[in-house]
Amino acid sequence: MSKALRLRSLVLTSALALSAGCSDFDSAFVYSERTTNLMPEAQDGFEDAPGVKRLVDDKFGNPQQLKAWLKLPVDFGGSSATVGEIVADAGGAKVKLVAVEGVTLPESAKSLQFVSGAAAGQSVGITAWDAKTGEATLASLPEAAPVAGDACSVDGGEVLKQGRVLYMRHCSHCHGSSGDGNGPTAQYLNPRPRDYRNGVFKFTSTNDLSKVSRDDITRVLKYGIPGTYMPSFLLMEDSEIHAIVEYVRFLSIRGEYELKLVAELTGDYSVKALESRQEKRSEIVDELKKFLKEDMPGAATGAGDELAEQWTAANTEEARIIPSVPRVPDTEESRRKGRELYLSKTLNCADCHGIDGAGNGPQTMAFEDKAHPITGVKYSEPGLHDAWGNLNQPRNLQTGIFRGGRRPIDLFCRIHAGIKGSAMPSFKNTAHEDIWHIVNYVLSIQFESEPGSAGVAAAATPAPAAGAE
Amino acid sequence: MKKFWALFFWFWPIVALWVCFAAPGRNWWFPSPPKSTLGHQIDGLFYLILIIVALTFVGTEAALGYVMWRGATKDASSKAWFSHGSHKLEIIWTIVPAFVLVFISLTQLDVLADIRVLSKFPDEAKKGALAEVTARQFEWRIRYPKPGTMLMTDPQPGDLYFVNELHVPAAVPTMVNLRTQDVQHAFFAPKLRVKQDAVPGLVIPLWFEIEEAGEYELLCAELCGWGHYKMKARIVADSPKGVSDYLTRLEAEQNEDGVAEAPAGEESAEE
Repeated sequence: MSKALRLRSLVLTSALALSAGCSDFDSAFVYSERTTNLMPEAQDGFEDAPGVKRLVDDKFGNPQQLKAWLKLPVDFGGSSATVGEIVADAGGAKVKLVAVEGVTLPESAKSLQFVSGAAAGQSVGITAWDAKTGEATLASLPEAAPVAGDACSVDGGEVLKQGRVLYMRHCSHCHGSSGDGNGPTAQYLNPRPRDYRNGVFKFTSTNDLSKVSRDDITRVLKYGIPGTYMPSFLLMEDSEIHAIVEYVRFLSIRGEYELKLVAELTGDYSVKALESRQEKRSEIVDELKKFLKEDMPGAATGAGDELAEQWTAANTEEARIIPSVPRVPDTEESRRKGRELYLSKTLNCADCHGIDGAGNGPQTMAFEDKAHPITGVKYSEPGLHDAWGNLNQPRNLQTGIFRGGRRPIDLFCRIHAGIKGSAMPSFKNTAHEDIWHIVNYVLSIQFESEPGSAGVAAAATPAPAAGAE
Repeated sequence: MKKFWALFFWFWPIVALWVCFAAPGRNWWFPSPPKSTLGHQIDGLFYLILIIVALTFVGTEAALGYVMWRGATKDASSKAWFSHGSHKLEIIWTIVPAFVLVFISLTQLDVLADIRVLSKFPDEAKKGALAEVTARQFEWRIRYPKPGTMLMTDPQPGDLYFVNELHVPAAVPTMVNLRTQDVQHAFFAPKLRVKQDAVPGLVIPLWFEIEEAGEYELLCAELCGWGHYKMKARIVADSPKGVSDYLTRLEAEQNEDGVAEAPAGEESAEE
């Protein structure tokens, strides 16, 4: 009898454990350490003066309930429309929608989001949909009833929602659910997965001052990054890749927005700043309250505008690097010139990459006069460091592995714009012809019989033109 | 009730026989009919083993049912015969399976040689590897020789690189070199019935002849780490002309200097 009891309790506990293990859990966006280094009042704010956390959440929500801040250049998905007439009847509410000019309403629709008017920010399910007339039967009418002329979006946010699902499945275990590069598998990886909450992406085709373009993120997703753990997602549908790209942009802008808000406060209201301030704490809190109430809303709007502008500009032709001259033919002479430039005092590539390109230049042994971006402690180990506080090993060019791509234009961009966030600086003032010489040399290092032979063995095969046999 | 159990155990071999006969026609065993020439030979081996196993199963079940039927119909007072410890029986059921195993291992030798032994490769495959497939956590990196040259073990100037997509000619015996950059992986194309481990430090030649053009899945069949499930690529079988066109395109793309396309783009934007 006691045995049966014990068995029953065992079954019961394991069933409980199973159900607990499988239950839904709420994931959250992690706030930056810079935010958590602020004094608590600055993080949480006051009832009538939101702090950093609430300001960010108001615009971006959390992973369960994402918010679309329409000012941002992110394709949230959905077709813009305006409310035509509203017919309330017993079975629900019928709304006639008028598509915004240039937009066609989708064949099928699941939900309707109100963008302006009394019901702004609310989402209702669509139970029946007629794409031709734009008549939607809604599951219910929001309490604050919309009126004719209100802007709305059919299936608004669907792209972002799809992006979230795919991102959680394929990306979050390394990059973390908020893009902080600190997912569960991250600790096993070297190099560490990218934390792109500061809006910095290394491998871009845009100039040194611009953000990453959509095409750049797409390329990295499709082809992966050789030499790192970032795999290729080539087999995904284009629509899936698009959804992930938009979600990554969303996360990246969210992180950058948070950092911009923190930057307003960190000088006076971080835990560290408090230590050196002489006033009473209550005085500081009053001052903070005044700042959050009067100055912060304007600063937040400004930060949003700036981000919207920068992330839009990155996709324009002006931001893209276009060499002024075509690639210089890959001859022995060009490589030799490239090597001379590589070793020259002005460019001094060898200072980091080493005289034979092995990535072991003198800089790798020097102590950097720089502090960790978060802790503010100076590095105690020699070598270069990147914007994320990781040791930044200059690339060993002898391996033939080029993380940002091996096309000549990829290498051209790496030199022209530098590698953003890393110790590789921009050489945009170097003549484009000279950059091509260096590209030719760098591509040949792998095949050199000895340092400086400039790929003599390979010189017999000049760069083939497109359409060669 | 005693007879029920005898009938019960006679019933299953009948079901098993029916399943074995019906399965190939209904495509129950395999993801699809074999799409490569070697696939037919490999399926042949599977079916040989299926026949042996089916016969053994039917025989054992029939014997089991017979014993039970005897037990059920026998006079309750008759004495039982104890077979335990019979040397003769022990010898029989050791030697018979041993012969079966030796038979299987000898019959499969030809197929194994066709798959693995370099000198038995078709001449067209032996001419040289089309590409090098390097497995790594968690993707397949492909390296083709510069069009018009041979694939070398070490990378050469002008080699073409791609990832997770391997283009091969259909209806032509094709060889690829398989390597791994980190841990053990396995090159597994289920529809082609090609499965070969990639072992660190080895370059393993591998050949197949895809019968019809199309896209085929390439998976990793060796649990290689937490991202094992991600290691999915595709093999695109195309006409030889299609493959060489593809390589030409790839070469042009890889030599992209960002200049040629730019003016065209600007013009169309202005129009």
